[in-house]
Amino acid sequence: MKKIFITLIIALSFATAAYAAKDAVQIMDKSNNVYFYSGDDGRAKVTMRLVNKSGKERLRVFTMLRKDTTDGGEQKYYIYFYKPKDVKRTTFLVLKKMGGDDSRWLFIPVINLVKRIAASDKHSSFVGSDFSYEDVSGRATSDDTHEFIKEDKVEGYDVYVIKSTPKEKAAFTYVMNYIDKATYLPVRREYFNNKGAVYKVFEALEIQTVQGYPTITKRKMMDVKKNHYSLVEFSSIEYNVGIKDNIFTERYLKKPPKKYLR
Amino acid sequence: MLKKLTEFSIEKPKTVIIITVLLTILFGAMATGIKIDTDPENMLSADNYARVFHDEVKERFGLSDFIVLGITASDSVFNVDTLARVEKITNDILEIDGVIAEDVLSPTTTNNVVLEDDTLVVRKIMPSAPKTDQEVQKLRNELAGNPLFEGLMISEDGQALALFIPIESKDLSFRIAGQVEEIALKYLGGERHYVTGLPVAEDTFGYEMFVQMGISAPLAGLLVFLIMLYFFKKISLVVSPMIMSMISIIWTMGLLIGTGNTVHIMSSMIPIFLMPISVVDSVHVLSEFHDNYCRYNNKKDTLLHVMNELFKPMLYTSLTSAAGFASLAFTPIPPVRVFGLFVAFGIAAAWLLTVTFVPAYIVLTVNEESLKKSYSSCDTEKTTRLISILKLLEKVVLNNGGKIIFASFVIALVSIYGITKINVNDNPVNWFKKNHKIRVADRVLNEHLGGTYMPFLVLTGAEEGVIKDPEVMKYIDTLQKELRAVPNIGKTTSLANVVKRINYILHGEDPAYDVVPDTQEEIAQYLFLYLMSGEPDDLDNFVDYDYTSANIWIQSKKGDNQEIERIVSFTEDYMKKNPAPRGLKSGWAGLSYINIIWQKAMVGGMLKSLLGSFVIVFILMAILFRSFIWGLISMIPLTVTILFTYGVVGLIGKDYDMPIAILSSLTLGLSVDFAIHFIERFRLRYAVAGNYQDTVDGIFAEPARAIVRNAVIIAVGFLPLLFASLVPYKTVGMFLATIMLLSCTSTLLLLLPFIKMFKKPLGLK
Repeated sequence: MKKIFITLIIALSFATAAYAAKDAVQIMDKSNNVYFYSGDDGRAKVTMRLVNKSGKERLRVFTMLRKDTTDGGEQKYYIYFYKPKDVKRTTFLVLKKMGGDDSRWLFIPVINLVKRIAASDKHSSFVGSDFSYEDVSGRATSDDTHEFIKEDKVEGYDVYVIKSTPKEKAAFTYVMNYIDKATYLPVRREYFNNKGAVYKVFEALEIQTVQGYPTITKRKMMDVKKNHYSLVEFSSIEYNVGIKDNIFTERYLKKPPKKYLR
Repeated sequence: MLKKLTEFSIEKPKTVIIITVLLTILFGAMATGIKIDTDPENMLSADNYARVFHDEVKERFGLSDFIVLGITASDSVFNVDTLARVEKITNDILEIDGVIAEDVLSPTTTNNVVLEDDTLVVRKIMPSAPKTDQEVQKLRNELAGNPLFEGLMISEDGQALALFIPIESKDLSFRIAGQVEEIALKYLGGERHYVTGLPVAEDTFGYEMFVQMGISAPLAGLLVFLIMLYFFKKISLVVSPMIMSMISIIWTMGLLIGTGNTVHIMSSMIPIFLMPISVVDSVHVLSEFHDNYCRYNNKKDTLLHVMNELFKPMLYTSLTSAAGFASLAFTPIPPVRVFGLFVAFGIAAAWLLTVTFVPAYIVLTVNEESLKKSYSSCDTEKTTRLISILKLLEKVVLNNGGKIIFASFVIALVSIYGITKINVNDNPVNWFKKNHKIRVADRVLNEHLGGTYMPFLVLTGAEEGVIKDPEVMKYIDTLQKELRAVPNIGKTTSLANVVKRINYILHGEDPAYDVVPDTQEEIAQYLFLYLMSGEPDDLDNFVDYDYTSANIWIQSKKGDNQEIERIVSFTEDYMKKNPAPRGLKSGWAGLSYINIIWQKAMVGGMLKSLLGSFVIVFILMAILFRSFIWGLISMIPLTVTILFTYGVVGLIGKDYDMPIAILSSLTLGLSVDFAIHFIERFRLRYAVAGNYQDTVDGIFAEPARAIVRNAVIIAVGFLPLLFASLVPYKTVGMFLATIMLLSCTSTLLLLLPFIKMFKKPLGLK
């Protein structure tokens, strides 16, 4: 009788563990979609402040166009820079691939040259900020194993705490995600290195609903070690704009599509 | 008055010994919280302008002090095996605690901009070690002629490769250098490796300094002891000055540490300075005791007689020596001030112990019977050689006064000429012997690479973005070209190099585009491209965050202060003739630069302090002898000694460096001693004899013997320092020997002729 009881308990605990893992993956999948794939496409004016440890600032202002090929899959990004002033009209194109290297092109207006930039590393910095390309455009949920840790309350949000560990070697050893139960947006992420220390912290500072899509309009990424952070604000957000596919080509890098930029 | 101290000590020796022991335990206990500081930066006070700027620049450009690991191969480091080893070594180094991993400069950690299949790639120079010869060749081609790495990380001939390892704090460098060395040994095959860098030199010096303190000081002590034993025969007698010397060192170091001072390179030399100074007085005591015992056959009476005769000169010599060192308190260099004041305290302590502890110790422990046996005979013929030489010398001196005075003037003049030739220079690396591995590493790496010494030239404008102005960028570029003409500058690197490199790469590696572009937009967009494709902090070492300030790395193959000074004055000269655009102001940072700043402060400070103590000693002498002229005469031997010593330094071309600067105060303090003893004895004898002739007859007896013994004991006793592995210790040994022998000679030779010359003004008959 006792044996059966123990077997039952073990079986049950396996089942819950399996359930929890499945649950964690579902949460992360959903979160990924809400965070990175709202609508079929989107447009926003982005102001990025890169602040170093002495409080000095570098400013980036750009319009970002996004179009999804498939939800949770490939995406295209088009970026037009207004600031810094001396790089105005610089444009940037990123074709996000799943499971392969992205393609990136940069247009350098002063010499009217489009240059392809190698993109072997998705962990590298996005336009000189503390965000990596992956932080901006997402990371496939299947690249990590996800573990449900607990439910918690963070900055007034009720959250799921999920630990994601990369299956292959990555820039981080694991990430702690704090996913808002209501919107499924990440309100906080903590990146841990191989010494078990937090080295980067993501925070959602403001969430608004735009056209029915919950959107993080103000976010911050802090590099703990360098004491350097990037503060990003989104404005003029619009979803389902109907951006044409051919905008995301070399031709439009040189000749920015005015109607989408305003 | 004060003499009562000695009488009390002879009557109540036990009380004196107990008090001394208690005090020593007290001071010794204070020494337990010892804090060591080997950072030469602390030669400047924390609020010194150059130092504040240096720290600010380090912060602004994310610069750290670094260790250099050089790897050389006889033909080329560009081969599959060596590069694979470099990769492994780098990986291990990144794991060392205290290494700033993200700033390590190495082929596998530093970004390079290259074109691959018409794609701009910013990636590690060597993302992973090449596996085939073709891959090796490709890497070689990428680096050949690349101004960002050739001469810094890779030698032009391909024989050497260097890793620059930034560390969190300089005082970790000895430990980390050891670990780096271990890692290199673990992986390397036929290649050679070298570890160097200013922090390593400085921190290693700090480490070896303590080893030397543990070896040299006791060894010197042992030798001093043996020679005293040779002169005075009785172990129990000779032990007393040794103990006294040890106690005064314990008191001094205890007080130093107990009052919260760190043991700096300077203060670590206090024991080795105090040892000879503290022993000098008791050598006089022992010498006279030895020579007079036969007259009393009783140690108490002998001691009373000896102490009575020596009390005044010992007080004077201690006062003057202490004043000489205390005058260092006026230098602008904090560790030197501490050093001077505590040596002065040590001298005072040694005096107190010499007039109390030493007699008490002799009364209490030395066996009267055995003294009678060895010292009972007044037959001075026992020490014939010394005595007969001195007798001969006395005759020579008395008969050739004029010639001696003339000769001393000639020597003084030649010496002054030599002093004008003095070469003020220093380099912490040169504090090690020529064959020390740090010196070897320094030599080899600087043969192959652009230079391991890096002064930083910082140009700062008034507005944000000013550095991106093409005029500014071109100015920096031209300045760099000019600097290449300065001897020993192997390489310079700045933001201009990065901009030119991108321009060149973007234009299909066309050399016509290896120039600074003409518009700010172009410059800005190239840099933007670079930052877009690399890491946000890739350019931090060269430009500050808002492009207000640029940093030019200058690599010098030589780290001598003179070389760095030449670079600085060349640049300032150039900038005066060709003013920088947009009101850019220049400033300097880097350890090499800091070194020349404190050296300047040191040389100037030492000179002032030497002149100051010269005046103080003279005033003291005039007061003590209650005569202006006696004061003047007492200064003659030490003046000649100092002139001669530094004249020789100038004539033989030895660099006037930190140790030599410090020794000037020792020279003054020690060389006045003999004159005081001699003059005091002369006056005592004159009081008895009543005229000059009878006074000088036989004057080369007691004090002269003590003087010679003293000179020999200290000169020989410190000979082991000549074999120390650290050059400053060798210098101290060399100097002590020279000073002792010179001031002994000049005292014996010069005083009598000058006294004779000034007979009338002195009121002598």
